Amino acid sequence: MNAPFYSFGLFGDQASLVVAFIIGIGFGFFLERAGFGVSPNLAAQFYLRDMRVLKVMFTAIITAMTGLYLLSRIGFVDLSQVYLVPTFLVPQIVGGLLLGIGFVIGGYCPGTSCVSAATGRVDGIVYVAGMFAGVMVYAEAYPHMLGFVHMTSMGQITLARLWDLPYGLLVFAVVLMALGAFVVAEWTEKKFGGMEPDPKGWLSVRPWRVTPVRVLVLGLLAAGFVALAAGSPYRGNHVTIDTKDLALRAGTGADTIQPTDIADWIVQDRNDYTLVDLRAAKDFDAYHIPGAQNLPMTSLSANSLARNQKIVLYSSDSTQAAKALFLLETQGFKSVYLLNGGIQGWHDTVLFPVKSPGMDAAAFEKLALVAKYFGGAPRETSASTSAALAAPMAPTPAPTVAAPVMPAAPAGGIPAAQHKKKREGC
Amino acid sequence: MMPLTELTVSRHNPLVDPSLHIWGWQIAVYLFLGGLVAGLMIIAGVRLIAIRPSQREALVCCTIGPIVGLTGLSLGMFTLFLDLSHKLHVWRLYTTFQITSPMSWGSWILLLVYPALVANGLAHLPEAIPALARRFPVIVTWSDFILAREWLVVAIGLSNMLVGIALGIYTGILLGTFGARPLWNSAILGPLFLLSGLSIAAATLHGILIIHTPDDERPTFADFLLSSLTKLIEAHPLDPKVGPVLAGADNSFLTIEAALLILFLIGNTTSTSVHQQAASLLLGGPYTAIFWVFVIGMGIVIPLILQSLELANRIRHTLAPSIFVILGGLALRFVLVYAGQQSHWLEALNR
Amino acid sequence: MNSSDHSPKPYWNPYLSGFGLGLVLLSAFVIMGRGLGASGAFTSVTATVMHAIAPAHATNNALYANYLGDGTQSPLLDWLVFEVLGVLVGGFLSAALANRLKFAVEKGPRISSGSRLIFAFVGGVIMMIGALFALGCTSGQALTGGALLNAGSWVFMMCVFGGGYAAAYFFRKLWL
Repeated sequence: MNAPFYSFGLFGDQASLVVAFIIGIGFGFFLERAGFGVSPNLAAQFYLRDMRVLKVMFTAIITAMTGLYLLSRIGFVDLSQVYLVPTFLVPQIVGGLLLGIGFVIGGYCPGTSCVSAATGRVDGIVYVAGMFAGVMVYAEAYPHMLGFVHMTSMGQITLARLWDLPYGLLVFAVVLMALGAFVVAEWTEKKFGGMEPDPKGWLSVRPWRVTPVRVLVLGLLAAGFVALAAGSPYRGNHVTIDTKDLALRAGTGADTIQPTDIADWIVQDRNDYTLVDLRAAKDFDAYHIPGAQNLPMTSLSANSLARNQKIVLYSSDSTQAAKALFLLETQGFKSVYLLNGGIQGWHDTVLFPVKSPGMDAAAFEKLALVAKYFGGAPRETSASTSAALAAPMAPTPAPTVAAPVMPAAPAGGIPAAQHKKKREGC
Repeated sequence: MMPLTELTVSRHNPLVDPSLHIWGWQIAVYLFLGGLVAGLMIIAGVRLIAIRPSQREALVCCTIGPIVGLTGLSLGMFTLFLDLSHKLHVWRLYTTFQITSPMSWGSWILLLVYPALVANGLAHLPEAIPALARRFPVIVTWSDFILAREWLVVAIGLSNMLVGIALGIYTGILLGTFGARPLWNSAILGPLFLLSGLSIAAATLHGILIIHTPDDERPTFADFLLSSLTKLIEAHPLDPKVGPVLAGADNSFLTIEAALLILFLIGNTTSTSVHQQAASLLLGGPYTAIFWVFVIGMGIVIPLILQSLELANRIRHTLAPSIFVILGGLALRFVLVYAGQQSHWLEALNR
Repeated sequence: MNSSDHSPKPYWNPYLSGFGLGLVLLSAFVIMGRGLGASGAFTSVTATVMHAIAPAHATNNALYANYLGDGTQSPLLDWLVFEVLGVLVGGFLSAALANRLKFAVEKGPRISSGSRLIFAFVGGVIMMIGALFALGCTSGQALTGGALLNAGSWVFMMCVFGGGYAAAYFFRKLWL
């Protein structure tokens, strides 16, 4: 059995909504149990009187984190199939600060306000109304700040990949950090909140009594230690490759992507794929396909690539690219593709397209527009084709290509640059 | 096979063949109100026979119920009227009686509902709404006339029960006779809609009782509004004893309804491929989420839990289960009316 | 109508309720391959309502258009919308079981109910704008992303606490 169940097609979209409802019931239930339906309980967090928010949040985070780590490590869950909200650094910093301020003013966050409203609290209901108003305000302003909301895009990236640290080490560090925060929280509650220490609490005076909370804390700590030692949670350490499937894909070209498709993706500003340039840094600096990431074969490692995205490889040498594909497949990457023809294919079909005999004018016009968008030029005759092939990348086309003018939205023929589908994943 | 496929595809386009989707919200609302009225009548009839009162009492089941029922029935007839293409020809329904037509049966059953409900309501009306009785003293006379004769009370109770059962089953049969709609082609729909109507009616009465009972926990302004409303009509306190009875009865109705729904689905999935296809509209198809979340989850399971806890005295009696049951009943009819029209015999050929 | 004690019960221990919440989150990962959330549902509902009131305006707005999709399916048939529906029901059930259902305005001791409601509304507006910038709220980003070691979520979480503590002093009259 493979998890996540939904990603592996165990049930469909409609059933997923029923699952959503049931999971939501659990979510709302525990939020209410924790006392999050009442605003003073939540706001007290920011006056150090009652650290309930921090305790509940971090316990939930480390429970789910260690649980997911262990389930992935034993191979039950495919961690690469769990959706990560893409990182947009600056908008998320601004959003976080606004959210914090809104939290203090309003006394709720979106999830807790729903619980509050459902349990009859008038301030929660009014807060929910405020959120609808907030959407309308944001929606009106949205078209004018597209540049801002999409800036500093970093894709789907975990801290482990950002810092190039082992996943398990980070899991352990977060567990330690959370437990440390709990100790501090108990102390601040005593100091600022004037709370009596809970006789059943885990830091109470009788050190050897077994309480549920102590068991929980020890269990989480133990899970953290396991994570520290157990290695990468991603599948791929013992990956089995279906050679038949591999041969079939190679034979039918199902593992290649046409340069024109990549061009369309770039124009559409899609962010669900990673384009990897396998050539040496020198060649990469001379020219590379816009948006590509330079990862020479020598430094190709599993840590430096996102597992949740399509990966498209290209090089000047198709054998090299094919080797890289095989390498990544053995590391457990699911959707790796080759750019058909490599950088030369990009050069011939996108930058300098040739009008083939059977092609009608409109289609060629579109190709020409795309070529100009990327700083190339269409060629009318096949005579110049051979010339360009003879002197491939470096000398002749370089001036126009090296600094491709990033144009304003190309006219007509190309689908106007659509902005990234920026939807909340969660 | 090819030409058939082509035919199916084109006929599935509502723009090509708009008559495929002919029933809208009016029918769903009408079926809901019909079920509610049927349930109210049965409960009122049973209660009237059970207590056989010789004196006037303010009874929620036998006075408020019929009043709500009369209002609901009139609303339901109005929505049905809205759905008619030739509104001015409505009287023609009553110039004929077709023994094989459920529509014809229905229009005549509806005609019996009014007198039965009025008679039931009249028996205790002066006690429930004294202001009305003072304005129209003749109501008291009628009430006295009915209560003085026990056989009449029993007859009114019985007629309410019988007409109520007929009406409740009719709302399901109405859909069941459409042979061209495989999803509706099930004998279970009659009892299912009857039970659903009963649960809606019990929940409505329970809700009215709760609104009517003073409650410290209720916010002051809501209590003020409600108390002024009852003052306005000078209603007397209703019998609060019947509250737990209604909640218990509602739980039984909901349980049977759930069992019937499961039977309905099993019946369809073990039938011909056409019926399986029809049932798959609710089991993975486009109506799955709404059906399981609103009809089963919020309409049956959650009120069952809440009412059980109320009966076990674990929590206070609140309006919430009533609202859930009523919305669930409405959702059931919407889902069945809309999904039924999407189920199709030709669907199977399309595979 | 009732005989037994119906006073509100105490809340659960925060660590244990956090553990429960963590298990719910974990089950969402395992079953669905995604985490919890809340704010996205409000955008879907607003988009639907705007589309019903002013269809042209809604389809021309890039944000609403994203949520409306190609129009073949209602944006309300959305994972987060159904999840939030569950949150409402789950919160209600939990409160009903613990006798904590109450029609009241929750506020600090030094503020009137009217002002509390105004601040609640303003807070809701600010919070939602922040959540839309950040692609998620405390549930979708901090809780879910936190458990997935998502880089942006941890930055976001630190900023939420930073913003909250920075603003807390200025709004102390609301709560203390």
